[in-house]
Amino acid sequence: MASAASLDVGRLVQEAEALASAVRGALGPRGGQMLLTRPTGETLLTRDGRRVLEALNLGPPTARMMVACVSRHHSMTGDGAKTFIILLSKLLRGLQAILDKREGSPFCEDIQRRESYQKHCHSLKQISQSLMTFQTHILDHIMAQDLRKHFLSAFSSWEGEISRDTMESILEAYFCGRIGNSHQKLLSQLSCDFYYKCISFKNGRNEMLNLVNEYFVELHSAVTGLPVSNSRILEGFVLHRDFAVYCPADGDIRMLIVTESIDSALSASGLEFVVNAEVQYQASQVWITKRTEAIMKHLQNNNIKVLLSSVKQQEIVTYYAKISGISIVECLSSEEISLLCKTTGISPFIPTRDNICSEITETMIAKFCQPLVLGSKRYVHLGLTKTCAFQPHCVIFCGPVHGVTEQHASAFHGAFKMLQQLFKAVDLSDGCEAQPETPVNGQQLKTSMAETEKQFIDFSSLVGENPSCNQTDLQKSADLAMPIVELESDFMFSALIDRGSSVRELQKPPVKCQHPSETWIKNKSEPVVTNHRICNDAMTAIENTSTSVVSKQLNSYKHTVQSYTNVVIQAGSVLPVGGNFEILLHYYLHSYAKQCQQPKITLISTVIADALLSIPKILYSTTKENSFTQVYFKATSALQINQQLPMHQQGLESVYCKYQLVASVLHCVAKLLTIDLIIGIRRLPQKTEVNDSEEDL
Amino acid sequence: MSRIEAKKPSLCTNEPLTKERVSFSLSVLSGIVKSCYGPTGRLKQLHNGMGGYVRTTSQSSALLGGLSITHPVLKVLTASVQNHISRFSDCGLFTAILCCSLVENFQRINFAACTVTKISRHLLSLCTDYLKSEACGCRISVDFDSIKTLLSLVHSVLASKPACMLNKTEANHLSTLVLKAFLLTIPHTVETNVVLGKCVIVPVKDKRVMDSTVFPGLLIEIPESQLARTFPVIRVSSSTIKMALFCISLSGDLSNIGEGTVIVHHGISLEVAVLDQLLNLGKQLINDQVDLVVCQKVIHPSLKQYLEEHRVITIDRVGVSMMEPLSQMTGSQPIAALHSVSPTCYGSLKDLRTESFVSKNFLHLIPNDTLVCSLILCNRNEMAWDELKLACQTAEHVLQLTIKQPLALLGGGCTETHLASYIRHKSFTLPASVLKAIDCSRTQYQLVADAFSRSLECVACCLEHDDGEILTDMVYGHFWSVQSGFPSDCNWSDLVLKCGCGICSNQQNLNWTVLQSQCIPFTPQSCSNEPSVNSTDHLVLDCFTAKCSGLQVAVETTNLILDLSYIVEDQN
Repeated sequence: MASAASLDVGRLVQEAEALASAVRGALGPRGGQMLLTRPTGETLLTRDGRRVLEALNLGPPTARMMVACVSRHHSMTGDGAKTFIILLSKLLRGLQAILDKREGSPFCEDIQRRESYQKHCHSLKQISQSLMTFQTHILDHIMAQDLRKHFLSAFSSWEGEISRDTMESILEAYFCGRIGNSHQKLLSQLSCDFYYKCISFKNGRNEMLNLVNEYFVELHSAVTGLPVSNSRILEGFVLHRDFAVYCPADGDIRMLIVTESIDSALSASGLEFVVNAEVQYQASQVWITKRTEAIMKHLQNNNIKVLLSSVKQQEIVTYYAKISGISIVECLSSEEISLLCKTTGISPFIPTRDNICSEITETMIAKFCQPLVLGSKRYVHLGLTKTCAFQPHCVIFCGPVHGVTEQHASAFHGAFKMLQQLFKAVDLSDGCEAQPETPVNGQQLKTSMAETEKQFIDFSSLVGENPSCNQTDLQKSADLAMPIVELESDFMFSALIDRGSSVRELQKPPVKCQHPSETWIKNKSEPVVTNHRICNDAMTAIENTSTSVVSKQLNSYKHTVQSYTNVVIQAGSVLPVGGNFEILLHYYLHSYAKQCQQPKITLISTVIADALLSIPKILYSTTKENSFTQVYFKATSALQINQQLPMHQQGLESVYCKYQLVASVLHCVAKLLTIDLIIGIRRLPQKTEVNDSEEDL
Repeated sequence: MSRIEAKKPSLCTNEPLTKERVSFSLSVLSGIVKSCYGPTGRLKQLHNGMGGYVRTTSQSSALLGGLSITHPVLKVLTASVQNHISRFSDCGLFTAILCCSLVENFQRINFAACTVTKISRHLLSLCTDYLKSEACGCRISVDFDSIKTLLSLVHSVLASKPACMLNKTEANHLSTLVLKAFLLTIPHTVETNVVLGKCVIVPVKDKRVMDSTVFPGLLIEIPESQLARTFPVIRVSSSTIKMALFCISLSGDLSNIGEGTVIVHHGISLEVAVLDQLLNLGKQLINDQVDLVVCQKVIHPSLKQYLEEHRVITIDRVGVSMMEPLSQMTGSQPIAALHSVSPTCYGSLKDLRTESFVSKNFLHLIPNDTLVCSLILCNRNEMAWDELKLACQTAEHVLQLTIKQPLALLGGGCTETHLASYIRHKSFTLPASVLKAIDCSRTQYQLVADAFSRSLECVACCLEHDDGEILTDMVYGHFWSVQSGFPSDCNWSDLVLKCGCGICSNQQNLNWTVLQSQCIPFTPQSCSNEPSVNSTDHLVLDCFTAKCSGLQVAVETTNLILDLSYIVEDQN
């Protein structure tokens, strides 16, 4: 028995709008808190859109799919769940309007002969395809060509360092959306401190962020019943266990990791132990005890002071440890063990017959290892001396209720995910590889283009990824790149002039896949042409720039930094908060739509552009001094005369996160629209019944 | 057969605070907590209506633990109060009442949540800064040279729990005992890491409160039959008693066989083998001249008998909770081996005696260095005993917190009224730059500050349950209560005797007004140099750490509740 229903766009719109209305109240700095209750009776406070959407327990499969898309996006970037769903609902609403119009719509042109249902499906499919085309080609292109000049760099100098001020404004803006204004200041300070304390040298940034994100559970502890202001950062690790044995020690403390019981049992699995006589049994018991004693003595002789164990050790082991002055922490989780191993680079110690006498090398050294009381629980506080790129620190979250500490912890985690995204770059070459076919007359051009591009990517990666490279390196790579650029650009210019007219002719629908790629190639050549000039500018700029703070001074140097490579979004690109990204993208999409010759893309661009505006609309709906219309008017008039956008707020946000958000939303819509039939099945437990149901179908 | 049940969709509520249901349940809860507050608070009886245990109480921990709360907003409130109690034991009702009245008062002024939140956070920081500053007029420092302030602290805690049913002499007696027990747990030698000992409460019901006592060392209950067998103690060595403490079972069971199989040939008994080992252990203990063997788990009867024959006293099944104080007190290390016991593990005791109370017999272990003590707590009936035990534990915790931060706040409502007048005064003299930073107008700030002060005063007012009049003076900003039924033509100065905390008496001309009446803001003076601070009378004092934290938690929780815009309730 199965029920099937065709996909109704109206329903999709309703569902998305219902979801959006659930989270709208929590969007932006003036939004409120949400209170979730779990079936167990716990309460959770949150402003996290993902949590809210997941807590709704929705029935409709398409709505569930939307929530799943939001969750996936959120778990990747740590941000943007609310914006995602609002954008999604507006976009669907816009697309529905197109579908309803029918007449004159480019998505319903040459399909008159079909039935209305099939026609409907066909136009949905068309929209979906155009969305994907838009996402893969046009979005990148607009980002690279138009938006890029507005990006600011979070890095204060060529060394790829982030100044504290910039970091604070990025984090503050993030926490503003995640926890509201009550404790935003405190948490952004806390996370900023954490970032700078954990990073040991600047090249280890990505490694540090990866570790923090992977092991965040191990790196934070929560205490309820205390005021939030008691939250703090502690140096070292807090292991979430108490000492089984504690023997205070001073100075450098040598520690060992064990993953199995030190005391051996009478018989191991798969083996048999045969007792022939009572004396034999007693002797073997004595031998086991003696062996344990010998191991512990050996550890003592090797000056081991602390034993970190992932399993519970026998009482006999703790007894001998106490006698030998060795502290034991047992039942550590496997994550804690692997975190310790990763940061210190040692591997667990396995006592065998061979190494029982030799010297123990796999040890780590701690400055201190002492009990720590947090709330009512006793933990082990560990300060390691020699570590990798990550300087161990951990966060203690305090709050009156569990809901608050959990909210702060997840926001803090999200902030570090967001930082990870901030340092990512988007390459234009991604789209290049994805090109299915190239026009015949463009073949030559294409290959030479690829070459130049390769050079530039090398060049950019040299600058982007190895920030410590000095000026001579830059000069060298620029020298390498420049002759080719000059050569190719001349060639390309002539080629483009020729193609200028042919492109126009080609722009009619029949080969619909080709068009975007061509416009894309045409436009891409522009940054390349300007590249070598800007390179020179950048060279001179390096010589006479001192480190300066982005959020305060916006000089032209910053923009050249952003626009001299082929990277769509350079690592560390940021924009001021308050809907700036949305307004910019809206403006440029509109102007693109005006030029664009292809009706489908024009339509899609307009719909996306309009949907984007919904975010600043909500953000400015509650403030007194700035209404949305004022802000929008100011921004567009500034853009028309090629000026910078006026800034209303201090905060900054990562462009990469925003870019990902738009891309994910487009993906989600495209996916939703390709569905033509929703079939409800009932899972039946018995096979015979399954057969029946097949017959029914 | 697996059945998949569809999850019920969640219930969503928009703008929950404007709903009738919340304000009703909030007023019920605030009514309950308000009526319990203070020494004259009303008692509450908790029962399940099905013949279960009935609890009479006025303490927040028992009360909130017993209430079953369904509304999510109130759940947040009670959870934060309960978390506060689990950290500090004290000031739970204060936190609950303050939180309730803050929510009520802030809702009344009806501003946007974020404005109220910002201002109240600023007010809170004013309060905490003031309380932590030297200039604070409502705190006194605790002098450990004299026990007077410490005794006042304990007395205030015990006196504020009316369900303990203590009269004045009983309260004084118990306060002394609790303080004595606490002082016994402080180590004599001070190292860098001071670890306090433990006070074990031994329940003796059906006896008078005045029979309660404190013993240094531990009392371990033993059955009478064993008592007759083991005593009198004949000591082998003259000076101290040597003791061995075991944390493994000495019952002769087979331990740590492993995951594989053990094949035992016919005619071989592992039990006999183990018992043999046990008896060998017994031999070693006797050779080492051990006088007392204490085991966490069970001792095999044969070993027991063997040891007793050689005049070694055995105590088994003491339980895991006694292990730490035992090893702390005697210096012995819990032994986990059956062979070759290291002599360094033995501990020592000063003396061993027997004590008996009502029908219970105890072995009294007297240590050389007291770190552990036993408080025999008596009360007339079960219910009152439970309440008393909780009160004593609270008092002990308050003392522990005070030793960390040797400060105390004036009790009896004086801190609340004093803080309220401080806040009122501050809100009138606030510089414009601060207002700009908070992004609000002066009127807004003053309205919120007024609601904040009112809530603090409301907590103080809850101390009076008998229709009395509550006054405050215009010099110190303290709390004064007047019994009801006074003649209307009287001067206030003829009616008042002492302020709530007992520091001020009415000899000064203090210019009283009725609390919460409109009056001119003034800077409340400090009265820590008043002569009565050093007099012999009991002052009413509150724990500084607990109250400061309670204040912060209450304001933070209020902000959380006010900021709620949406509730999603899982219906599964």
